[in-house]
Amino acid sequence: MKRFFYQSLPLVCAGALLASAPVAHAVTLEVTAWKGNDSEPAAIPDLIKKFESANPDVSVDFSYISRTDTDIVLPPRVQGDNPPDVMMTDMPLVKVWGDAGLLAPLDKGEWFDRLTPPVQAAINTGDEIHIMPLEVIGMGNFVNMDLLRQVGIETPPITIDALKVACTKLDEAGIKPMLFPGGFSAPLYVIANGLEAAPQESSALGSGEQLFSESEAFIGTLETFSDLADAGCFDPEIQAGVDPWSTALSEFKAGNFAMMAQGAWNIASFSEAENLDFVFAPIPSSKESGVALDLFGIGWSIAAKSDQPDAAKRFVEFFTDNDNLHDMLVAESAYSPFVDGQSGVSQVAAPYDAARDNGGTIMFPFSVLEWPKPLESEIFDSMTGYLLNLDKDPADVLSRWDEIIEDQ
Amino acid sequence: MRTLRRYRIFLFTLPAILVIGMFFVYPILLSLRLSFTDFTGVGIASDVGWKNYERIFTRSRYLDAFKVTIFFTVIVVFIQTIIGLFFAALLHRLPAVRNLCRAALFTPAMMSFVIVGYVWQFIYSPFNGGLNAALASIGLDGLQHNWLGDPNTALFAVAFAHIWMFIGYTTAIFLAGYANIPSEIEEASKLEGASNWQRFRHIEVPLLASSFTINITLSTIGTLKTFELPFIMTRGGPDGATRTLSLHIIDSLFGKYKFGFASALSIIMLILVVLVAFLQNRYLRSREENT
Repeated sequence: MKRFFYQSLPLVCAGALLASAPVAHAVTLEVTAWKGNDSEPAAIPDLIKKFESANPDVSVDFSYISRTDTDIVLPPRVQGDNPPDVMMTDMPLVKVWGDAGLLAPLDKGEWFDRLTPPVQAAINTGDEIHIMPLEVIGMGNFVNMDLLRQVGIETPPITIDALKVACTKLDEAGIKPMLFPGGFSAPLYVIANGLEAAPQESSALGSGEQLFSESEAFIGTLETFSDLADAGCFDPEIQAGVDPWSTALSEFKAGNFAMMAQGAWNIASFSEAENLDFVFAPIPSSKESGVALDLFGIGWSIAAKSDQPDAAKRFVEFFTDNDNLHDMLVAESAYSPFVDGQSGVSQVAAPYDAARDNGGTIMFPFSVLEWPKPLESEIFDSMTGYLLNLDKDPADVLSRWDEIIEDQ
Repeated sequence: MRTLRRYRIFLFTLPAILVIGMFFVYPILLSLRLSFTDFTGVGIASDVGWKNYERIFTRSRYLDAFKVTIFFTVIVVFIQTIIGLFFAALLHRLPAVRNLCRAALFTPAMMSFVIVGYVWQFIYSPFNGGLNAALASIGLDGLQHNWLGDPNTALFAVAFAHIWMFIGYTTAIFLAGYANIPSEIEEASKLEGASNWQRFRHIEVPLLASSFTINITLSTIGTLKTFELPFIMTRGGPDGATRTLSLHIIDSLFGKYKFGFASALSIIMLILVVLVAFLQNRYLRSREENT
């Protein structure tokens, strides 16, 4: 019996070593994001499973943290010794956290060279890169084509003149033409048209080198509000204070208004509405293309104090694969940040795609840090105030923006 | 002997002093320190001197926020106190349904701000909102309004939701005050032939002085600091009409990453709250003593 024990001991030890081998190499990667929950899955849960299948030695511990909570919950962890390994970020976060040395620099690998020029320029403002872009998402004009067809219009209005014609016909037919809340839709219109007409770069306006109140482009854009109101597009006093994130969305989804400027992230929700025949078009402007106002949204960043830098890099690299990223883009109704990437937007965005193809793309300046973030809320406020009183001098309205720039 | 007594008193108060110092005084001092920096919430803070305070006192939007805060507080405290007193007086005279009604009045305060905010946002919606729909149903279409979208009505609309949410607290405090009124006084006044109004005006209100003090003080401090409903219902709009100082602080912290500037606003808010609370409490206490 003793002989048997000693004879079998090596075999038992070998088996134990073999059994423990996989466990010894397994690492847990903590990932946080403000998407990936039930309401906004963005295909993240499925992609994580796919990543784990491709990397059996890595287990991903995913945590959903809302965008607001990201500002509250994560900073103490990122500054401390307990950061998540990979975090969803955007450029404002990258600016603050990156400048503080809290994010690991990313290698300018093959994926960097594949980025579209505007996105590449946006993330490459310093010596280091701290974010791997995941998506570019459009902000344009949602158009209820069923309502437009009722007044004999078969295509979404792309120019301001076409918009006025459509509004007049809709208004005469008793159909509410536009949702134009000062809190979002009106600013999108102003930013798109102002930048389209402005001769200078948007960064010159954002830095204070050029004043908004002296910009003929922006003054002229504000002056078109009265023209739109006169054409019956909207009642400015009613539209001014409409909540763009709840009331406006539900009103358009219910088919009560013909048009609304908003983000493409609403496509999925609107597509669920029965009998809502809509398209996603560019923001009407003075040019034939209209404006495709693109927002560089989210990306992945790695914490500088991550305990698993190698696994984190593999996770980030996983999303640079076009096939993997496409799943997210479809879920988000977004465009790829890569030149060779495939769009995730459905056919309802064909008019918007056409605007992009025709050179109508303008990057939303806040998303690429060309305009400081504090300016955003001031624009929302001032547009609301202007809608409430269109007799104001546009230059005075715009001087509020200049004051914010001055305060930076 | 006296020294020993004082020493013992000091020892007994030491834990409380430590708690106050750790969780109240130290955070205030830290906030004061940060108010002279450009701290972004992470990284290293650089001193900027009085720049943050200079911005506050030279930009009209912060003065406007100060006015909004004061006006909002006055609206809420005044109306909430009056209505709470009315409900308490009514329930005091209706003992059979007092507990049930008290519970019903208290229910809104048990809800989260988010729920209350979204419910009232829907009620106030200019398109098919509950209030406008109700007006239309009784033939008052002309009174339909964009309650939250009009700067002239938005603050009142938010204030009304706030009052609705907390009226139960006010009522409960006044009811507690009623419970402390000796029944003999009430009976004597009835025997003397005092009317309901006379009893209310000359006996109940003066004897509720302490309840007034508690209600007004708590309501004032709570309302001065509030940001939840303005944030949820209007996000400070339209065009700043409901943007309180607290909302500016929150926005500076988590929307603009200006922790230093937010700290400066917080210090000013603290001074405002302490000053108002001190003056108010001083007046109300003197009124109690004269009752």
